[in-house]
Amino acid sequence: MENTYLGLVLAPLAGAIIAGLFGKQVGRAGAHWVTILGVGISFILSVLVFKHHVFDGGATYNETVYTWMVSDGITFQIGFLVDQLTALMICVVTFVSLMVHIYTIGYMHDDPGYQRFFSYIALFTFSMLMLVMSNNFMQLFFGWEAVGLVSYLLIGFWFKKDTAIYANLKAFLVNRVGDFGFLLGIAAVLMYFGSLNYADVFALAPSLKDSTVEVFPGTEWSLMTMVCILLFIGAMGKSAQVPLHVWLPDSMEGPTPISALIHAATMVTAGVFMVARMSPLYEYSETALGFVMVIGAITAFFMGLVGIVQNDIKRVVAYSTLSQLGYMMVAAGASAYAAAIFHLMTHAFFKALLFLAAGSVIIAMHHKQDIREMGGLKKYMPITYWTSLFGSLALIGFPGTSGFFSKDAIIEAVHASSVPGADIAYWAVLLGVFITALYSFRMFFLVFHGKERMDHHTKEHLHETPWVVTGPLMLLAIPSLIIGYLTVESVLFGDYFKDAIFVLPEHNVLAKIGENYTSEIGFVLHGMMAPPFWLAMGGLFTAWFIYMKKPEIADNIKNNMQWIYKLLDKKYFADEFNEAFFAGGSRGIGRLLWRNGDIRIIDGLMVNGSANSIGWLSSVVRHVQTGYLYHYAFVMIVGLMLLLGWHLF
Amino acid sequence: MNFDYTQLIPLLPEITVLTMACLVLVVDVYKTSKDSNLTYYLTQLTLVMAAILTIALPATETNRVFNGMFVADSMSDLLKLFIYIVSFMVFVYSREYLRAREMYRGEYFVLGLFGILGMMIMVSAHNLLMVYLGLELLSLCLYAMVAMQRNVVTVSEAAMKYFVLGALASGMLLYGMSLLYGATGTLDIVEMSNKLSTGDLSSSLIMITGMVFLITGLGFKLGAVPFHMWVPDVYHGAPTSVTLYIGAAPKIAAFALVMRLLVEGLGSMQAQWQDILIIMTVLSLFVGNVIAIAQTNIKRMLAYSTISHVAYLLLGIIAGTQSGYVASMFYVIVYAIMSMAAFGMILFLSRAGFEADSLDDLKGLNERSPWYAFMMLIVMFSMAGVPPLLGFWAKLAVLKAVVEVDLVWLAVTAVAFSIIGAFYYLRVVKLMYFDKAEDTNDFIAGPDMRFFLSANALAILGLGIFPGGLLSLCASALGM
Amino acid sequence: MYELIGLSGPQIVFYIFSSMLVISALMVITVRNPVRAALFLVLAFFSASAIWLLLEAEFLAITLVLVYVGAVMVLFLFVVMMLDINMVPLQEGFTRYLPLGLAIAVIIVFELSLVLGPENFGLEKFAAPAAHTADYSNTKAIGSILYTDYVYPFEVAAVILLVAIIAAIALTFRRRVGTKTQKPEEQVAVRREDRVRLVKMKAEKR
Repeated sequence: MENTYLGLVLAPLAGAIIAGLFGKQVGRAGAHWVTILGVGISFILSVLVFKHHVFDGGATYNETVYTWMVSDGITFQIGFLVDQLTALMICVVTFVSLMVHIYTIGYMHDDPGYQRFFSYIALFTFSMLMLVMSNNFMQLFFGWEAVGLVSYLLIGFWFKKDTAIYANLKAFLVNRVGDFGFLLGIAAVLMYFGSLNYADVFALAPSLKDSTVEVFPGTEWSLMTMVCILLFIGAMGKSAQVPLHVWLPDSMEGPTPISALIHAATMVTAGVFMVARMSPLYEYSETALGFVMVIGAITAFFMGLVGIVQNDIKRVVAYSTLSQLGYMMVAAGASAYAAAIFHLMTHAFFKALLFLAAGSVIIAMHHKQDIREMGGLKKYMPITYWTSLFGSLALIGFPGTSGFFSKDAIIEAVHASSVPGADIAYWAVLLGVFITALYSFRMFFLVFHGKERMDHHTKEHLHETPWVVTGPLMLLAIPSLIIGYLTVESVLFGDYFKDAIFVLPEHNVLAKIGENYTSEIGFVLHGMMAPPFWLAMGGLFTAWFIYMKKPEIADNIKNNMQWIYKLLDKKYFADEFNEAFFAGGSRGIGRLLWRNGDIRIIDGLMVNGSANSIGWLSSVVRHVQTGYLYHYAFVMIVGLMLLLGWHLF
Repeated sequence: MNFDYTQLIPLLPEITVLTMACLVLVVDVYKTSKDSNLTYYLTQLTLVMAAILTIALPATETNRVFNGMFVADSMSDLLKLFIYIVSFMVFVYSREYLRAREMYRGEYFVLGLFGILGMMIMVSAHNLLMVYLGLELLSLCLYAMVAMQRNVVTVSEAAMKYFVLGALASGMLLYGMSLLYGATGTLDIVEMSNKLSTGDLSSSLIMITGMVFLITGLGFKLGAVPFHMWVPDVYHGAPTSVTLYIGAAPKIAAFALVMRLLVEGLGSMQAQWQDILIIMTVLSLFVGNVIAIAQTNIKRMLAYSTISHVAYLLLGIIAGTQSGYVASMFYVIVYAIMSMAAFGMILFLSRAGFEADSLDDLKGLNERSPWYAFMMLIVMFSMAGVPPLLGFWAKLAVLKAVVEVDLVWLAVTAVAFSIIGAFYYLRVVKLMYFDKAEDTNDFIAGPDMRFFLSANALAILGLGIFPGGLLSLCASALGM
Repeated sequence: MYELIGLSGPQIVFYIFSSMLVISALMVITVRNPVRAALFLVLAFFSASAIWLLLEAEFLAITLVLVYVGAVMVLFLFVVMMLDINMVPLQEGFTRYLPLGLAIAVIIVFELSLVLGPENFGLEKFAAPAAHTADYSNTKAIGSILYTDYVYPFEVAAVILLVAIIAAIALTFRRRVGTKTQKPEEQVAVRREDRVRLVKMKAEKR
């Protein structure tokens, strides 16, 4: 199997290299063919791997492929850990990636950076696969940083746009904060577990669960809690959890295909995947689980609220992503890792679908993104309309759609959980359902129904997008609708994950829910009677009522509740706060250090000072090399004499 | 006494090189056209044949023949292979240069081949007599090759200096050997080491004196301070293609000598040679890195850079552990690869009547050819030890070896000097990328040179990203 | 054995020749006249070969005299005489560097005397090798091991000589344009037609 895994990872890389370095030679068509071929191979191999591990019962593969270096007894390796969790992830990643590749042909059709774009997204696929297939922390970190890099490059893809540059710098800096924690976490693992290999670390975890560390004198911290929270800080950056969420909405400056691929379906869920992968560590720290859950709940609820007031079509979807990521984190915090991954999978399909549909709308609208200028697109773009409807239904958790199964499972799991903070989280995710429905259908109605508010010129050119765009939409709509129904039993309540995810018996909330589980249909029927369904319906209805039936209500609310509107519109002033406090503060410190430290001490005294003195020394010492033969011989003999004397006397 | 012919088998590569060298000599006399490439191709063929033989007859265990005068082990195999590879590249790089200077003659290649034979003998020497003979064979070829462009004044000067100082060093080495022979009664390295391991012979004054003389000779070959004085003048004065020859492969052979003599022969005197090597290393670090800054000639600068690289190479030996020797071996191979590329670039930029050996000649290389500027950038960064290039791993390996034996101060010194050294490597990069080009002529190099030079530099990058293979090759060559 | 001030006969001979060797070697580098220096070198070779004779290495001793004194040094003398080296500039600075050089030399001699003194290399430290019988042939002994045990170094030494020949030719041989040399093969192969031209002329009218 090793060759399969290698081929799986390297095929997109090869595509990326060819499209990136030889873009001119292969041309535009060449670039998309070669990368689609690479990702296509990858997808087929992923399916084979999935079949091997899931249906044929193939044993978990955990091998080192290449030992990069050995330093001080620690080996740094490139290796693959492929089990059911990995198999699921690679299928999702390669499938969505393939769809996005095809979609890009249409979306980027006239862009001068066509080859570059394909190179980047193929490179992203490679990095993401490296991340999920890793069997050690170093490679995890490599993948983590590599996807971050590609994300950075792609957000700033239109690098002549100031906002894009601002956004990618912001994403970069915020992620740096998260990565700092992540790196500290990995360092802590290395320090206390003495290995970077997952298997070794997990094997040691039970014996170290009660050990404490004293980082600052006088404080005793549980080792597990510290490691888990540090790693989670990394996840907070990558998966955009409060308060490190600020970069994700801005990342929408990038082209839409990557918003779908990177900032919805795959990269941002890396944090969730990481927590699930580290379940043998998280299970031993209730504090960390509670932390994960509360952060997730805050993100899920408050980011959803912001989504209601956004007018940029992509930003609405972006806030919805933030909120859904919060759901996944909540599930992970409740030890329902399977539910988290399950939601990750369903979310990847329907959110990619929603983004691509949004992109399709954007193409039709000639790159206008304001939903206030849309409306009534239903008759112009039937395919986009229907696929968006399916995506939105899945998002709000309409019974029977894939989103329903995963979201309901999360809410139930949190309800059953006893981790500290579970009760707050329960209310947050429950009310979140209402909000989700409200903002999703607000957007849906504003875009596809009602008055046609666009200008005359745009209206004349409105038409359905080409097949390379609608094809992926339809292909993504299918799993958005049915994948939940097909897999809910084995993933959530069956033994799909086997040993890939570790849950302590006392935390096993899914098993508790599973006692009442009869069948998929039973789950649906039960869901119809549970509060989330009615909340969702309520949200849907409210959206219809406010934005379709009586639009003046919206304005009324906006005028009467000015401060709330302002708060939401400004996204809780997070950006302003960061700008003033962190950015301003660090600039201030930087200026201070630069003036006093850098210019005077480092530049003046140390750099120039030492450079000058070395230069002077050099110009003096070089005169030893006189060019006279007898001087040379003399030096040799004196050297010999001194060396002899060293030992004789 | 019957001669056991099977003992010739491990010598087959040497025999091949010798036979072919003689053949090349004769063919060259009878070849019709002056510019014919026959000699060149035969020479390269010889190296390929030798490489094939060395690979086909790997020494699975230490195999000593001719009364222990010749040894074939995995270390000698690996080092010989790299000597072939490096020499092959040297000849490729030299071709256009030699042609442009009317040095494209059979003697250059014949002497080159004999020099390679000398290196091979050194690598496989297990007897002081063979050490000396191999060394002399190599040195003689080098002296003659340096002097070949005799109508240029700097060349004759360099050759004269090299010859006289080399003779002095040889004398010292020989004197040291005679003292060792006097004390132990044997020339055989293994026997000598056996004699030393019993009794207190290893702390006797005779042995120590002999050892100091021996190290003097080795230090000269390596170019370690204070026996380095020839290096800048010879590197500078010699035709660049010869500088390239001297700078690359012979260092590998010299490393083999250090291993054979100090480690295998005088291993039990480690306490004694360690401090001498430390003194030489610290001095070399100082001289190599500091004086290089004041140079304006790139060949001279690289000569000083060699001196500092030798110091790093010695760090691993100083550590005196198996991993230290592995690190040193790794370093010397890496160094050979890097210096090949660096001098190769000078050859690449030169043409008939123009020697691109001033730092100013590199100005604005990026405008003239971004690709080769990038290649040179890789080489310079690697020499400075910037990760993830090959040079970084080599430095890391030797420093690690030194730290492991608690010589932290030495490692810190080495790092501090490497920072100083980074200055002059980075200056080259600055000249290439930020200055205006003064020379705007086209490059004359042929496709073979372009290909190998690029491959050479890219290997530094590629092996730098995946250093494991080469490192484990070195480790297994030393039986780790 | 004769005993003289505590020394046996061979010892006396040894000391005589070794002091001759050291003194003549010193003279080689100190005398002003290069011809004299070369002659002192000849003397040094003689003394060395005498010492080898004491060691029963007759063959080597004779070879040293034959090859070095007979061939090499004579050639050397020719060269020295032909070159007419002006020694004055070469000796400039000699006195300036003399004190320093002398000091270094003294230190090294002192260091080496510590090592090479009788406590390390004294006669009592090494047993004298057993004397050989009268029919023992040193030459034969060398011959029998040179081509068997030492065949490998012997061959390598031969290669070194070959390289020396190649190097010497490569460095000195140059085909000068326009030199007037005799070409015997052409002189021998010359035919009448090449040199003599018979011209038939009509008789001039008067």
